[in-house]
Amino acid sequence: MNDESNTSDRPREDEDRHAFAAEAHSLWRITFAPTVWALHFVLCYGLVSLSCAKELIPIATVQAVLTALSLLALAIIAWLGFRSLRQWRVLVTGQLEHPEGTPESRHRFLGHAAFLLSVISAIGVIFVSMPLILIGGCQ
Amino acid sequence: MPRSKARAAARPKALSAALTLPLLAGCEGAQSALAPAGEDAAVLATLFWVMLSGAVVLFLAMNGLFFYLTRIRVQAQSETVARWLIVGGGIVLPFVVISALLVWGLSILPDHRQAGDGLRIRVTGEQWWWRVEYWPEGATEPVISANEIRLPAGQRTELILDSAHVIHSFWIPALGGKMDMFPGRETFLSLRPTQPGTYRGQCAEFCGASHAWMAFEAHVMAPEAFDDWLAAQAGPAQTALSDAARRGAGIFTREGCGACHTIRGTEHIGVVGPDLTRVGSRTTLGAGRLGVSLDAYRAWITHTGDLKPEVEMPAYDHLSEAEATDLAQYLRGLE
Ligand code: HEC
Ligand SMILES: [Cu+2]
Repeated sequence: MNDESNTSDRPREDEDRHAFAAEAHSLWRITFAPTVWALHFVLCYGLVSLSCAKELIPIATVQAVLTALSLLALAIIAWLGFRSLRQWRVLVTGQLEHPEGTPESRHRFLGHAAFLLSVISAIGVIFVSMPLILIGGCQ
Repeated sequence: MPRSKARAAARPKALSAALTLPLLAGCEGAQSALAPAGEDAAVLATLFWVMLSGAVVLFLAMNGLFFYLTRIRVQAQSETVARWLIVGGGIVLPFVVISALLVWGLSILPDHRQAGDGLRIRVTGEQWWWRVEYWPEGATEPVISANEIRLPAGQRTELILDSAHVIHSFWIPALGGKMDMFPGRETFLSLRPTQPGTYRGQCAEFCGASHAWMAFEAHVMAPEAFDDWLAAQAGPAQTALSDAARRGAGIFTREGCGACHTIRGTEHIGVVGPDLTRVGSRTTLGAGRLGVSLDAYRAWITHTGDLKPEVEMPAYDHLSEAEATDLAQYLRGLE
């Protein structure tokens, strides 16, 4: 991930180059929360089927493990959400939009996007966890 | 109000009344999920009415808003109002509503597998009829029947569902939700009917040419009446036969019906088609296809394929009228 792929002939200034490289990281970061959600989803379905279909693990164990995993997933997503909220800086600037196209505005936009993705991922994790509590067995 | 205007106003009213009356009548009847006769169907009916009322409120609110903003307050709205509308109406409200429905839905989801009070009924979907076995508590062998389900009122019965060839779906709307029947896999349904009566079940998963003719009647009976009925269902077929019925029994043997049908206590032990030991005690013929008059029996035996396309029973249209009548008398008498 660097800016060499940019075919523009204009030599970038050092600062700009630096800002772009930093943004590459936040581009990655916006995928973290949905990835946690996806892993949580796969673990939930996988472990429950190992217990209910293959009867390899007692369901009570699966329930305890998955409840802990759900809390862990939510904690990680909350942390990612908090970080992206700070990157967005909406609470400081009160600015919801990023129309300028400057490195700073790009930076905030990616924070904004990452924050919204954390919210959706948290909802996803909560919805996927609900059967653990409400069904509570292999019925 | 001028006459013409009054008439114009009355017309849509009359029209909507004309349209809703039959719709409301459709809510009643033997096969309506909206006229629940059991605990399980009642839960689903409540869910339906709550969701319907919610949908009506949302529909009116959305259209009201649209009307308001396009006809009444047409000027541009402030950004704050727009933002609150989008965040409140587009994110928060759907999240709350969907979460609440999800919690409710998940909390009633396990109910269809509740443990029963003892009686188990095994139902296998066939092409296009229902093989039925009653397993009362502690039984070592089942009471075999077909094309009809009887349930004791006020008791929870477990149904074990299976299928012989293709996917069917077992559904008695007045008593509970539907459950698919898969070849090679058992599914479960648990029902607690409360009101004695006769309800209709229907295969609810397309299963071939005669899918629409794959139905049955479900009789909910007082528990004592049910016990008596079940005791009477067990055991061999009755042997006291009228003259016509005795001739009919001969024709049954001669035509080889026993290759596919069992009549307990006789030499007929076929298992391709429904058990006919007590066919005369059922309230429909051919999985809900016909009634049980003498004519219906004759029609079934002589015009099977016309009544039920691709049915796995040949039509015996070579039988004379008298022979068909004797055969019908015999079967109808098997109570
Ligand atoms: C090749 C097998 C086969 C033969 C032979 C056969 N049947 Fe059937 N029969 C079936 C099947 C299969 C059904 C169920 C059809 C359906 O409802 O889709 C059936 C259904 C019936 C029913 C309705 C049962 C119910 O529960 O409603 C009657 C009555 C009946 N047969 C009578 C006869 C008589 C009488 C004969 C001989 C004249 C005969 N069958 C020969 C296969 C056969
Ligand atoms: Cu079917």
